[in-house]
Amino acid sequence: MRTDLSPRLRVALYGLMCVLLIPFVFPTWWMITSSVKPISDIFAFPPDLWPRRFDFSTYQRVFELQPFARQYWNSAYIAAIVTAGTMVVSSMAGYAFARIKFPFSNAIFMVVLLGLLIPSEVTIVPLFQIFLGWGMINTHWPLILVPIFGAPSVFATFVMRQFFIALPVELEEAARVDGLGRFKIFWTIALPLAKPALGAVAIFTFLHSWNLYLEPIVFLSSTQMFTLPQALTQFTDAYGGAMWNIQLAAATMTAIPVLLVFIVAQKQFVEGLAHTGLKG
Amino acid sequence: MAPVSLHSVRKAYGEVQILHGIDVDIADGEFIVLVGPSGCGKSTLLRMIAGLETITKGDIRIGDRVVNDLEPKDRDIAMVFQNYALYPHMTVATNMGFSLEHRGASKTEIAERVKWAADILDLSHLLDRFPRQLSGGQRQRVAMGRAIVRNPQVFLFDEPLSNLDAKLRVLMRGEIKSLHHRLGVTTVYVTHDQIEAMTMADRIVVMNAGRVEQIGAPLELYDRPSNLFVAGFIGSPAMNILGGTIDGGQFKAAGVTLPLPAGVTATGAASYGIRPEHFQLSPDGLPATVSLVEPMGSETQVTMTLGEHVITGVFRERVSARPGETIHILPDLAAVHLFDAATGQRIN
Repeated sequence: MRTDLSPRLRVALYGLMCVLLIPFVFPTWWMITSSVKPISDIFAFPPDLWPRRFDFSTYQRVFELQPFARQYWNSAYIAAIVTAGTMVVSSMAGYAFARIKFPFSNAIFMVVLLGLLIPSEVTIVPLFQIFLGWGMINTHWPLILVPIFGAPSVFATFVMRQFFIALPVELEEAARVDGLGRFKIFWTIALPLAKPALGAVAIFTFLHSWNLYLEPIVFLSSTQMFTLPQALTQFTDAYGGAMWNIQLAAATMTAIPVLLVFIVAQKQFVEGLAHTGLKG
Repeated sequence: MAPVSLHSVRKAYGEVQILHGIDVDIADGEFIVLVGPSGCGKSTLLRMIAGLETITKGDIRIGDRVVNDLEPKDRDIAMVFQNYALYPHMTVATNMGFSLEHRGASKTEIAERVKWAADILDLSHLLDRFPRQLSGGQRQRVAMGRAIVRNPQVFLFDEPLSNLDAKLRVLMRGEIKSLHHRLGVTTVYVTHDQIEAMTMADRIVVMNAGRVEQIGAPLELYDRPSNLFVAGFIGSPAMNILGGTIDGGQFKAAGVTLPLPAGVTATGAASYGIRPEHFQLSPDGLPATVSLVEPMGSETQVTMTLGEHVITGVFRERVSARPGETIHILPDLAAVHLFDAATGQRIN
């Protein structure tokens, strides 16, 4: 974006932005640098911005102490399925709520939205009992099904509905005149145009699934089945004390996909939310 | 090509009646314009012909088929929308060939038809562009290309020029008309612009508040409006209409008495209509006080007060009078329109 700011004002603004950046960047910086420090250097005061000694063996130890590769795979495939599933469910549900006239559609949509007001802590026990009855405890099914049909998908449905409502209705009418039925209109016209919103839904669904913490600790009990956020809590010594440098090495590796996704797709994310009238 | 017939067509949303029984017969190959003020139901009627709105009562026929319950795709119509409704994620060529593709046409046939339409509309050099890369006029032509490529029985246009600037609108008006001459397809065209209606239509359907006020050729509507609404709606500047009474072979309005054409037998309360160009300057005429003179070059438009009525006159002569001065004008009696005061219907 081009602006007409004077050089002095521009320098001042950049300086202010650098200062404001510190609380956001420092924790990440501290996490990455501490992951290669000996544990005794981590809590040195004043803290070292650059490690005095580098110890990369922490990254090796992550894989020795836990089945970390397996846990990484668990998180990755669950997030991928949840993302794909949520995109399918939310785009179809959002389109239906935006475009198809059916009795009580607005009332039903309000009821669906109310699901967002219920904290997951409230529903976790009933959900545990349901999945226990279905024999799905210590499997990944709850971590896949709950987000696809639960609150994250409701939010995604809301985002998609807002996007589809904003699409000119004449496009669909032109498609009807051109010979398309309802599903083909959705598939060939509405969905390709909804790419920005779908992108935003994909990003925040992936991040939500990747960072999911409460559900894994309730539904999973074996380390082979753990996902990354749950695995991060397991890097402790025999007395339950945290092995900080190893834990931070695992946390750094856990954060990499999240950072990559956001760096690559942040424009899409912001555009998608802007199209829906929401602010990020 | 096919005739279109609307028989007692009604539309209601719940208790609210939008169309109150429309009867129109459109001949094969005819260019008919639905015109009327905003909210008169003309777009709703067009959308009912297209199949985009349901019909509450009545019948719509395209050719020899009643199409009331047919989907738009089964009516063999093509529609051009006000905002063009081009698919933003498809190129011009894909937009134009899209309907053929979904009707199972072969790639060769699609390419041939798209090329044919693009040649007619001078779009050949734009086929690989996306709608966002086109100007308003080009988008309009692509929308028409998308309509003609399928060779439908009926074209439907829903205020297609209203998003264009005045100059482009005049240009596209000519293009649409010449396209109709070339293809000869039955066309129903909706506009609120009576100039567009006058210049393009074979016949005009004037609508008001969900009813047809008059159907006729443009000059027929202009020369013999059947009621006060049509008289006031068709023509720019609008017809002067003075309220008063017919009494003793004269028309008595507030502050002025006007001559009547020969043969008027009606008496009582009436409206006296005369178009601005049907006044002539004459020393023997009625005195009118000038309030505004607008020289247009080829003609002069004068706003003046006749008796207690503010009227407009358009004169081929240069008018040198200044505001406040008096000129003398005579109405052309052959062009006087009289309407019943109670019903608004024409009485001469």
